[in-house]
Amino acid sequence: MGGRTIPAGTAIAGPVAVAGGPLHVYGTVNGDAIAIGSDVIVHPGARITGNAVSALGSVTLAGGTVGGEIRQLAGALGAVPQVAEAESPARSTRHALALSSSWLIILVLMAIGVLLFAGEYLDGVVDSLEGRFGRSFWAGIATQLALAPVLCLLVIALAITILGVLLIPFAIVAFVLAVAGLITLGFLAIARITGESVAPAASKRYSARGAALRALVVGVSIYMALWVLASAFAWAPVVEMVLRGVAVAITWVATTAGLGAAVISRGGTKRSAPTASFAAVNDIPWQTPTPVTGVVAARRPTPSSSARDR
Amino acid sequence: MSGSFVSRRLALGLASAAVSIVSSSASAQSWRTLDVARQLSDSAPASVQVVYGTGQIGVRATSKPLLYHMQLRYDATRAQPRHTFDVASRKLQIGMQKSEVRFSGRDDADAAHLQLELSRSAPLDLNLDLGAVESDLDLTGLRISRLHVESGASDAKLRFDSPNPTRMSVLEVSVGAASFRGDRLANANAADIRIDAGIGNVELDLGGQWTQDIDLRIDVTLGIVTIHVPSDVGVRVTLDKTLASFDHEGLIERDGGWVSKNFDSAPHKVRVTAETVFGKLSIDRTGR
Repeated sequence: MGGRTIPAGTAIAGPVAVAGGPLHVYGTVNGDAIAIGSDVIVHPGARITGNAVSALGSVTLAGGTVGGEIRQLAGALGAVPQVAEAESPARSTRHALALSSSWLIILVLMAIGVLLFAGEYLDGVVDSLEGRFGRSFWAGIATQLALAPVLCLLVIALAITILGVLLIPFAIVAFVLAVAGLITLGFLAIARITGESVAPAASKRYSARGAALRALVVGVSIYMALWVLASAFAWAPVVEMVLRGVAVAITWVATTAGLGAAVISRGGTKRSAPTASFAAVNDIPWQTPTPVTGVVAARRPTPSSSARDR
Repeated sequence: MSGSFVSRRLALGLASAAVSIVSSSASAQSWRTLDVARQLSDSAPASVQVVYGTGQIGVRATSKPLLYHMQLRYDATRAQPRHTFDVASRKLQIGMQKSEVRFSGRDDADAAHLQLELSRSAPLDLNLDLGAVESDLDLTGLRISRLHVESGASDAKLRFDSPNPTRMSVLEVSVGAASFRGDRLANANAADIRIDAGIGNVELDLGGQWTQDIDLRIDVTLGIVTIHVPSDVGVRVTLDKTLASFDHEGLIERDGGWVSKNFDSAPHKVRVTAETVFGKLSIDRTGR
C-alpha cells in the first residue's frame, strides 16, 4: 500500500504494483506497472517495457516510454455479472423460464386488452373459427404463403409512382403491423376456444365477459405452458429441443388456424352467416285429420254446374 | 364475486407480476470507462480492425505521438472491450464484442460510446465492423491505404476534409438498413469506391482534391442515391435499374450510358456504375 518511486538508473523486474499512492517511474520497469486508485507517472528517461495500468487513476506520460499499452480504467469496478459465454445449466434454465414466463404474462395482458377494447372483433374471429376450423386452417396456410408476394406487389405498386416510393417504408411498417394484429387476434381467438372447451365456465358464476376472460387466460396458459415446460428442461438440451419442437408445432397450427379465421372474418368485422338450421317442427297441429273411410273429392266448379246451382 | 371484479383483480395481479419479472430479468448495469493507448514507436503500416455493436462511435486522427487511443464507455454486464495489438504483424483489434440485444429500460445507445484516435504517421488498413451504431468517421489527416466499413442499421458519416497522403487501394462501404453520407470523397485518394446499401439513403459528395479518375460502383436495393460531383469533373453513368428512377439532368445518352458534356475534355472523370432495384438515383453537378 502507498506510493513508490523507481529511481533513475535502476531496472527492476515487473510487475510493479501500488495501491492508494502514486507510482513514479524514473528508471526501467521490465514488465507491467500498475496503480490501483492512484496514478502512474512516467518521467523523462523512464521506460516501462510492459503495460502501464491505472484503475481509478491516470497514466501520465511525462517524457518516458511505455512499450505496451497505456490503460486507464474508471467507473463502477468490482465483480460484475459477466456476459456468460458458457452459461451454467441452472442459469440458462432460469433465463429460459423467465423469458417464457414473461411472454405468458405479456400475452395474457394483451388478451385482457383485446377483450376490453376489441372484444367485438375477437367474437367475430371466434365465430368464424368455431364454425369452420378446417377452412380457417387452410386459409391460414394460404395467407402465410401469400404474405411475401403481397408485400412485394404492394412495394412494386408504390414504386411505380415517384410519390409512392416515399410511402414504401410506411407501407411496409403498416403491412407488418396489420399482419401482426391479425396473428394476435387469431391466436387469442383460438386460445379462447381452447380455454372454453378445456375448462367450461359455469354460466351462472361468471358474466359473459368474465367467462370470456377466464377462457382466454386458460387458453393462453395452455399454449404457453408448452413453452414454459420446454424452458424448464433447458438443462437437458435434447429434451428441451423435443419439447420445443412440439411447442412450435402446436403453436403454429393454432396460430395458422387463428390467422385464417381472422382473415376470413376480415379481422372479426364480418360475422359468419348463421347456418341454415332445420329445427324440428311440431307439424301435428297442422295436419288435417283424415277419416279412415276417406274424403270425398271436391269437384271443380264448371260453367254448367254453376248455372245449374243457380 | 362479480366477473368484472375478478377481471380487475386478475389484471392488477398480472400487471404487477409482469413488472416484477421484466424488472428482475433486466440486470443491473455497470458502466465503465476505459482509456487505452499505445505510443508510436515507428511509422510502419498497421492493420486496424474495429468491432463495435451498439452505441456511438467516432474515429479521427490524433495529434499526439500515439499509434492509437481508444476511449470507451461501456456496460460491463453486457460485453467486454477488446484491445489487442500484435507487435509482429502490427495488427490492432479494438472495440467491443457485439453485445446481445436485451431490454433494459434505458437508452443504451446514448450512453455507450467509443472514440478512437489513430496515428497520422502510419499507413493504416482500416476495417470497421459496426452493428446498430451511429458513426462519425472523420478520417481527415489519416494515411489510409484501404478502408472497409460495414454498418448494420444506423447512420454513418464519413469524411475526408484534407487529401489522404497515401493512395487508397479501395474504399468499400456496406450498409444494411441505414443512411450513409460521404463528404469530400475525392480526398480519400481512392480510384475504386464501392458502396453497397440495402435499404436507406446514400449521399456521396465527390468534392475535394482530384488526383485521379474514380470508378464508383453503387448497389442500392431500396433507397435514394444522390451523388454530388464538381462541375469540372466528367461524369459517365451506367445504370442497371429495375423499378427506379434516374435524374439525369445535364447528362446526355451515349454508348449505352449517360455522360456529361465535358466528359471527353475533363481533366478527371468519375465512372459511375449503379445498380438499384427500387428508388432513385440523382447526379448533382452543381458542386458543393
